[in-house]
Parts: sequence; structure tokens; C-alpha cells
Amino acid sequence: MVIDCHTHIQGYKGSPDDPPSLKLRRTGRTGYLLEFADRLGIDKICLSLGTSRDYYPTPEVIAESNDMVWAEAERYPDRIIGFCYLNPRYLQESLAEMDRCIANGPFRGIKLWVAIHVDHPNLDPIADKAAELGVPILQHTWIKIAGNLPDESEPRHVAAIAERHPQTTFIMAHSGGNWERGYKTIIEHQNVYGELAGGDPEMGQAEMAVRLLGADRLVWGSDAPGRSFASQLSKVTGADLTEDEKAAILGGNMERILGL
Amino acid sequence: MIVDANANLGNWPFRRTSYNDPKRLLERLARVDIDRAWVVSLDAVMYKNVHAANAPLAEMAAEYPALMPVATINPTFPAWERDLVECKESLGYRGVRAYPNYHQYELGDPAFDDFLAVADDLDMFVEIAVRMTDERHHHPLCMVPPVELAALPDLAAKYPRLPIMLINAKNTDLVPLIEPTEGMENLWFEMSHIEGTGGVEQLGRSLGLEHILFGTHAPYYYPESAILKVTRECEFSEEEQEAILYGNAGRLLASAGP
Repeated sequence: MVIDCHTHIQGYKGSPDDPPSLKLRRTGRTGYLLEFADRLGIDKICLSLGTSRDYYPTPEVIAESNDMVWAEAERYPDRIIGFCYLNPRYLQESLAEMDRCIANGPFRGIKLWVAIHVDHPNLDPIADKAAELGVPILQHTWIKIAGNLPDESEPRHVAAIAERHPQTTFIMAHSGGNWERGYKTIIEHQNVYGELAGGDPEMGQAEMAVRLLGADRLVWGSDAPGRSFASQLSKVTGADLTEDEKAAILGGNMERILGL
Repeated sequence: MIVDANANLGNWPFRRTSYNDPKRLLERLARVDIDRAWVVSLDAVMYKNVHAANAPLAEMAAEYPALMPVATINPTFPAWERDLVECKESLGYRGVRAYPNYHQYELGDPAFDDFLAVADDLDMFVEIAVRMTDERHHHPLCMVPPVELAALPDLAAKYPRLPIMLINAKNTDLVPLIEPTEGMENLWFEMSHIEGTGGVEQLGRSLGLEHILFGTHAPYYYPESAILKVTRECEFSEEEQEAILYGNAGRLLASAGP
């Protein structure tokens, strides 16, 4: 089974003023995404974020975003796995949203973006609750040479929170972009998974991750629709790895993490 | 038949690359049924005298008929014109690549205009590498912005016989060119860096599929990326797919000189 651990609802809604050449294909909000997934043999996608790309979303925007994902997960129950988006700056609201979407809803993971560094103390109760609920935390990470957004996490932030919460599973989304540094940062943190989504299909990435972390600590994601499923899939299909290693990265590890 | 219009040989200073000699590159490309590749020297990009890479590349490629070498020229370096003539007349190059960002000039600079004029006189084709790697991950001592392309439509119009090919251009580089380059027969767009679900189809149709060139950026990128984009992710007709995979490359070469 191939599971994409990292997809989003299209952030751009389109405009009547768009030239015909730029109009987005739409057969429902994520239906078009599944059409492309079908072409590449992707069985399930983990979906998060609504159409807002506010770096510091309010609890209302968070709830609206999760409602969008919830609706899509209900529309395609065999294909879409919802990940609950949170802004941990609003701690009580975040814990309540975890109850609503995960404890009492269909969501199977948590998605954190750029609202706060993931090693902030507000994350401690969230990490504990994630472990209780048995869901992973998918945390965006990047290391940008010209400077990150003010509250954009790097791999070192993931390593720090993972150290404090060994029972919680963290997925280091994008592996920090600068993946050579990212993988080396989490070598010793057994509860952190490397993740392949979003960067260019640079040769050697998956091979290095497997060499340092092992094939059972790497998961595949695309960051579609901003990214091409094809370019992202090539990071595994094109890698010099065994078929068993590729199968684990493409879906086996996520099946285990999600308890499917 | 598949022609890779954007492959690399040699060493990149900031990452150890595999499959970077002719034999191993061709074997690696053959895994995804790529038969031929247009190759540049990665070493040349950071040389001060880039021409030093041109003779060795030509010599290396000469042993492999499946490879077509593309020269590198920096038109702000002394005697570049002499070097370019040598590339065409002695070394047998049909195409030449420019790296305006790594060599610190702009498309609007007179030196680049002169370069296009000489390449045009020599019946060569010109490649412009918009970037080589993701700007977010550059070495801190070598942060190189992508090439600014606003001057390109006017230059392409000034040299209508000269095939000009954009290499490693992303969606954000290409979208602003859709309207100003409409109908320009001498502009070609290599697709390795076009992203988004179905992005090659969406952007390709906007730019004109007859001017999209298949390219992998291997071995820096996995060649599977470009193959999967064209053959699996996008919904091209058989004719469109053949044009992208090799037909357009043949037409580009035919539009340049022998």
C-alpha cells in the first residue's frame, strides 16, 4: 500500500479573472488530487490544512480548516486520512480541537506548521495527549539559508521536543529541506521519523536517510498539490534501495504509525 | 526514444554526486529508458576560466555517441568570443550554456547581447540555466539567486533564428513568460523543475507543448522524476508525449545549425 503522509487542500481558490490557461482542474476540493494520485498508484493520502495559509491562524480558522478536511475525509473515507491542524499558541483550544477531531472524530494525526517552534513549552501537553491518543505529530521543518520565518521549526526543534516526549511519534516533515543536516540531527531520536515531502527530487536523499536512520524510520509524502506526486515519488522509486525498503518507506511505516 | 535535454557530468562542489561519468550516467538513464542525453560539465560552473572544461567534456563525450555535449561560456570573461568560436569550429559543439547568476551578469547586460549575437552567427543554440539547486539550501558562502528573466522576450525577439532554451526554470519563473513569449518559435522550455500536481501539463499547455523539452537534471535529480511527470502524472496524447520526450528536441536541433 502506498500512503502519502503529507498533502493539503489547495490553498488557492482560483479567481474568475484567471486566464483560461491557469484555471485549476477541479472535480471537488480534493477529487482532482485523487485523480492524480490514481495515476501514480497512491492508495491513501493524509490531508491537512484548509484554504487559509495564515501563519498564525485563530482557533476559528483552525476549526474551519479542520472542518474542510473532515468533509473530504467523509467524502472519500477509503482514500483520505485527516490530520488535525493546530496552532499551539492557543493551547486550551488546541487540546479541545484534538478532542473534537481525534478523540471524538476521524482524524488520525496532528499537523503543525509555522505558528510556533515545536519545542515551545505549549507543545508539552499536546505531545502528551498525542501519545495518549496514539497519533503522530507531523511538524513542518525547514532550514533556509537566508533565514526562516520567525516561528518556523527546524530539525533541532523537533529533536528537542522528541527528547522530552519519547512516547510520542514525530514526523519531521520535509526533513528540514536541507536534508543532509536534517537527518544527522535526528539520528539518535528513535521516536522521530524522517519524511521526504516537498523538496526537490535530489538524488541520494532516501539513501542517506536509510543509511543513518534505517528504512523503518523514513516515510514518504508529497506536499501535493503544491508539489508533483511524480517528482516526490521518484525519491523512493528512483533510490538505490531494496524493494522491501521502498515498500516500508512508501506505506508500510505509515500503516504501522497509523495503526491501519 | 527518449532524449534528456538536461543532464550533467562531473562534480558539483557542494554535494558528492553519483553516476557522474559518461558510462555510469548512461547506464543510470537507461534504467528509465532514456537513450540520449545532452550533457554539461558541472565543474565548469564554478571555474573562473569556464572554457577549461569544454575540451575535456568534448573529449569525454566523443566516446559515447548517445551523449551530446553542451559547452559553457561566460561572456564577461576575457576572450570568451574566441573560446566560443573554438567550441563550435574545433570542438564540434552545437550548443552553449550560460549561467548569468553564477557568473554575475544580467540578461539585459550588453555582454549577454553580444554573446547571443555570436552564438547566432555560429548557428548554435543557447541554454540559459536559471538555477542549479534550490536557493534555500545554498552554501552560506555561495548564495546565488535565480536568473531574472524579464529581458528574455525582447532578446528572443531580437534573435529570431537563435534557439534559446531555459533550463531548470520553475513555475514561478515561467508563468510571467506565458503572455510575452506567445508565438515565439525560438524559445524552448526544459521541464525538470516544473512542479505541482499535473504542473507540466498545465504549464506546458500554456507555454505551448511544442516547445517543452524533456529534461531530468540527472544525476543531481533522480531521472524518475521527469519520467513519471510526463508518462504517468500528466494526461498527454501519444503524439504530445512523443514530442516532449524527443520530437521537440529534434526540432530544436534542426532549427540550429549543423
